Amino acid sequence: MTVRFDGVSFSYPGTDAPALRDLSCVFVAGQVTWLFGKLGAGSSTALLVAGGLAPILTGGRRTGSVRIGELDPGDVANRAALAGRIGYVSAQPHLQLSGLAETVFDEVAFAPANLGWERGRIGTAVLHALARVGAGHLVDRVPTELSGGELQRVVLAAMLVLAPKVWLLDEPASALDPAARAGAYALFREEARRGAAVVIATEDADGVLEVADRIIVLERGQVAVDGVPAEVLGSDACWALGVGSTTVGALWRAAAERVPAMADDGVPLTLEAAAAKVMQA
Amino acid sequence: MTPSAPGSLVARAHPFTSLTVTLAVVVLAFLLPASIGPVVLALLAIAVAAVVGDPASLTPSLIIVVPLWLLLLLVQGVLGDAPFTTWGPLTLSIGGLDEALAQGARLTAIVVASMLALRGFRASRFVDAAAERRWPFSAAYLVAATLQTIPRLRQRVTLIRDAQRSRGLRVQGSIVQRVTALVPLTLPLILGALADTDDRAVALEGRAIAAVTAPGARRTPLAPPVDTVVDRVVRWGSVLAVAVAIIWRITR
Amino acid sequence: MNTRLLALVPTCIALNVAMGKIVQELGLPIYLDSVGTILVTTLLGPWAGVLTGALSQVLTALLSGQMMWLAFLPIQVLIVLVAAAAAGRSGFRTIVRAVGWGAFCGLLGGTLSSVIAYSLFKGVTAPGVTALGALFRSLGLSLERAVTLASISTDLVDKGIAFGLVAAVLLALPARMASRFPIAVDAVGRRA
Repeated sequence: MTVRFDGVSFSYPGTDAPALRDLSCVFVAGQVTWLFGKLGAGSSTALLVAGGLAPILTGGRRTGSVRIGELDPGDVANRAALAGRIGYVSAQPHLQLSGLAETVFDEVAFAPANLGWERGRIGTAVLHALARVGAGHLVDRVPTELSGGELQRVVLAAMLVLAPKVWLLDEPASALDPAARAGAYALFREEARRGAAVVIATEDADGVLEVADRIIVLERGQVAVDGVPAEVLGSDACWALGVGSTTVGALWRAAAERVPAMADDGVPLTLEAAAAKVMQA
Repeated sequence: MTPSAPGSLVARAHPFTSLTVTLAVVVLAFLLPASIGPVVLALLAIAVAAVVGDPASLTPSLIIVVPLWLLLLLVQGVLGDAPFTTWGPLTLSIGGLDEALAQGARLTAIVVASMLALRGFRASRFVDAAAERRWPFSAAYLVAATLQTIPRLRQRVTLIRDAQRSRGLRVQGSIVQRVTALVPLTLPLILGALADTDDRAVALEGRAIAAVTAPGARRTPLAPPVDTVVDRVVRWGSVLAVAVAIIWRITR
Repeated sequence: MNTRLLALVPTCIALNVAMGKIVQELGLPIYLDSVGTILVTTLLGPWAGVLTGALSQVLTALLSGQMMWLAFLPIQVLIVLVAAAAAGRSGFRTIVRAVGWGAFCGLLGGTLSSVIAYSLFKGVTAPGVTALGALFRSLGLSLERAVTLASISTDLVDKGIAFGLVAAVLLALPARMASRFPIAVDAVGRRA
């Protein structure tokens, strides 16, 4: 389902300065949108507003319109209808546990049980989800005994099992080692291909560049840039804005300060592109 | 507090059985005539814990109960009224000692029964049992989540204490020093716990908590505990015992 | 909001229990077992406070085996009412003010406690209070007076410190977190 923001402003309760100011953008279903913003720019808030948690959980004032499909997630009346259709994943896995599960199976089954699925359906879905995140072997383990990386996979499975149509992800891979990180991003792309709107708020340019179809850069609660990731990260204007770059890109730019000719043809962002350029030279 | 062994009777019993029995013991402890009633109840509780339930639960129970007995005997014995008896250098009131026996027995019965029930408590079984009976999920969640959070916070207390001590915090010394030490120990604990609850609330939303807390919602029990005939007999027996005690008390 | 309650109440109940570990470590003769209750009242209001306080009391009674503590449930309601009143009057604006409100709460609570303790248990409840009561008794006070005095003096100090700690927490909350709890914002007299 596509998420649409139309002139959205949001202030947390008791504050006058808005966290989001007249924000208009679209998180398209079937695409992975990379939300980039420095601390305080509003990307975490944007995710909360997209899911309706702001203002439902946080309180505060929201103006403008937010729609997931036809529904406004910020309307309490829609809460039950949208339950289980919006997936949230944040950086710290142990804070996303239900607190009730004695095994990984029970943890992943927590949400489906809440939705009243019948037991057979839950069993199949849970095992399938665990297999997709590569955590099938953890099914009988106790969640509190797992490592951070293993736990994050379980948390991903716990969301995956519901097949949400909107994924709101806040630094979802920071607890994972590089191999698992790549796997997680691949998973998000898969979900997008299956029709979900996937939004990833992260500063990990290296990881997300592979899968992002679109980048939206937020600055002080507003959209500063909205475009194709490779173009945005490669452009000098954005570099000047402080958007940052991939490790390779940043390295190339640093080198280009000494040897300006290096930046003539644009700045490569991936190892392959950089290697190709070096081969040409 | 360590949970009881999985094979023990109390762990295999239906979650509501141990709770019902504990509640019955509590009520009976106050209804039964002192001091014979409570003493018999206490001995019964200990016997059940040792023979049929979870003998390992008696150790922590004893640790709680023994100092209370000593205190009771001393205070009631010393502060009570005539007639008196002498025991070595002490003059003790007989009435007071009898009262102490009754209160001590009450305490013992309650502690033993509660400890047995608590050690046999398993959050997921409890939630499943509640779900099966279509009880509101929120209540079950509150109980279960609390019992999960307590050990976690207690662990954090130790971590914070160690961290602050390595930064020079002194936990001994004058009373003023110790009271001021409260702040660097408490603040990180609470602030950390509060920051976590925000994340938890978001996670719960993602897990369709809105669906299960809506009125008339039904949660699927994942592994519903079996409610055997023995379970039902024990539960109804407890209720009957309480009813009899109430009637007896009223008609006396 | 319901989910915040579900997330916060278990934490605050656990806090009530965990504070016991801290006072034990420091060897202080107080309980601080209502810190969580007071905190949740300033964050989510009196109903959350009563829920937290009542469940904490039940839990403590079970964990310690002293089911007689259940008779003191009205005290929990009292604590919540005082905390809510303090929050409504910016009582947590400074730590000193909060301690004052806490002492007031302790005075009321201690009095009510001793009434309950004496009428139901002839004064024998918690070891600490009982020991203190025995001390006062040996000084010649009647049993009722001894129990009352013991109750009140412990409670005064205990609640005073508890309210003070909650004030310290509220004042230390980062603005972003504090702004999500409008009652707490009022309680510290802050308007961002």
